[in-house]
Amino acid sequence: MKRKEFLGRLIGEVTNFLLEGNPLRLVVSLHQEDDGAHISFFDDQMRSEEEIKRIYNSLNPQKSRPELAEYYGLMAGHDMAWDARLKLIGWQIKHASVENSDSGLRIDLWLGSDAFKSEHFTLDKKGKRK
Amino acid sequence: MQRSEKLLYLLTILLITALFITGMALEGPLEVVKQVVSLQKESARLINDFTLYGIGTAMFNAASVGSLGLVLVYFATVSLSGPTLSAILTMMGFAFFGNTLLNCIPLILGVWFASKLARKTFGSYSLIALFGTALGPLVTYVMFALDLPHHLSIPLGLLSGMLAGFILPAVAGSMLQLHQGYNLYNIGFSCGFIGLFAANLLLALNRMQAITVTWNTAFSLPLVLIVPLFSLLLMATALIVDKPKRSFEGFLAIQKLTGRLPYDFFDTGYFGGTLLNIGLLGLLYWAYVLAVGGPINGPVIGGLFTIMAFGGFGKTLRNTVPVVAGVILSTLVFAKSPTAPSPLLAALFSTTLAPIAGQFGVIAGLLAGFIHLVMVEVTASWHAGLDLYNNGFAGGLTASLFIAILQWYKTNRPKEDFTT
Repeated sequence: MKRKEFLGRLIGEVTNFLLEGNPLRLVVSLHQEDDGAHISFFDDQMRSEEEIKRIYNSLNPQKSRPELAEYYGLMAGHDMAWDARLKLIGWQIKHASVENSDSGLRIDLWLGSDAFKSEHFTLDKKGKRK
Repeated sequence: MQRSEKLLYLLTILLITALFITGMALEGPLEVVKQVVSLQKESARLINDFTLYGIGTAMFNAASVGSLGLVLVYFATVSLSGPTLSAILTMMGFAFFGNTLLNCIPLILGVWFASKLARKTFGSYSLIALFGTALGPLVTYVMFALDLPHHLSIPLGLLSGMLAGFILPAVAGSMLQLHQGYNLYNIGFSCGFIGLFAANLLLALNRMQAITVTWNTAFSLPLVLIVPLFSLLLMATALIVDKPKRSFEGFLAIQKLTGRLPYDFFDTGYFGGTLLNIGLLGLLYWAYVLAVGGPINGPVIGGLFTIMAFGGFGKTLRNTVPVVAGVILSTLVFAKSPTAPSPLLAALFSTTLAPIAGQFGVIAGLLAGFIHLVMVEVTASWHAGLDLYNNGFAGGLTASLFIAILQWYKTNRPKEDFTT
């Protein structure tokens, strides 16, 4: 159940991050395919452009860091007592998009094999993805 | 390859070359090679000061182990940055009192096999492989100290190292969860755990000998100069490459980081600031050793190299000072000599707990350092000196205790309960 543990870690870490904002509503949506998966997170807390940029940069590191992803990435989603560290999952996913939706923050994580194409998903996207 | 990475390669190659040349100059090229070959047969358990076999021999050995680390990083196609630089410099430091090419390679091979089994690239496990060389003494102890015929003991030593390396990724991942990244030498913690089992197995077979300490107290100018010269080189590079103002700005920004694993300081964009941090850490703790009247020998060089190694990956002046102060306080309270091997090395290697001071403040750092000395004095006997990163083992235990208590406290705050 390698996939279950991996998804659990990613969901745990992003959830930890979103719960730090003490939202009244938090939705996690998972869509799996054979070659990849898409996870969406929605909450009811609007963020400033600066915050969105910071979150985006944490989730989309400039360089691939396999030596950090496989080893230190194991800490992701494991502990809710400490501050969330989105960088831990940024190294492990293909791409993330971050934007304010109508009601709050929306984070999309795309993960999977090289064959995986995120554009095949048909979730309605309002506005331009960051 | 980015410019900053090329510069790190250049600086590391310069250090390795300087050690090779100095080693050969001190003892003669042929003699030093002969001595280093003979050094491979040492069981190398804690504490075996390689400078007693010759200053040049220890330097040449450190350069050869550093070359192995650098070549592996290059061919594993991972970037030379904070984490990988920390691994290479740590290996070099420990090659002054334990690591040799012979005892490193089987462990690295074991981790490589584990990566193949898990269908990962070796690059993914490269940090585990490099730091995993902490268990090097297991290989050479089995090979040369068990009083078995060499045709039996050498394959057995190779096999022991490969087996330890093979299980290391699994153990390291679990150990990380215990302290949540607050012990910088996590592989040292993991190797100590594996070393416990290995040592007790050998004890059950009646093959475990008592720990001995060899400790060089003779003055050697080349040894005394290594750390300050390399520190000054890094600081000069910082000021030239990044301009003084930006380097100082970066240095100050880095001091604000907690240092909790995994934080690559080079990722902050302050290349010069990070080099400045590494250089100043080296100078400060080198001055500390001289100030207390400690010898600059193999293990002390190992400690200083390790502090500098993590200057790009978790340690700052701000988060290390409280922990070291805690060790000094503990040394005074328990009436120990600050120049004795254990308190002196504990002061240097206790900086593995720097993230505790970085995250929870000066008092927590002081307490962690205080407890660390008490722990580290006994943990070496638990694994019979088979884990070179004994302070990582003791630090892991201390950090796990701290984190368990703080976690319990954090998860039981009544004011955040739901109201009825």
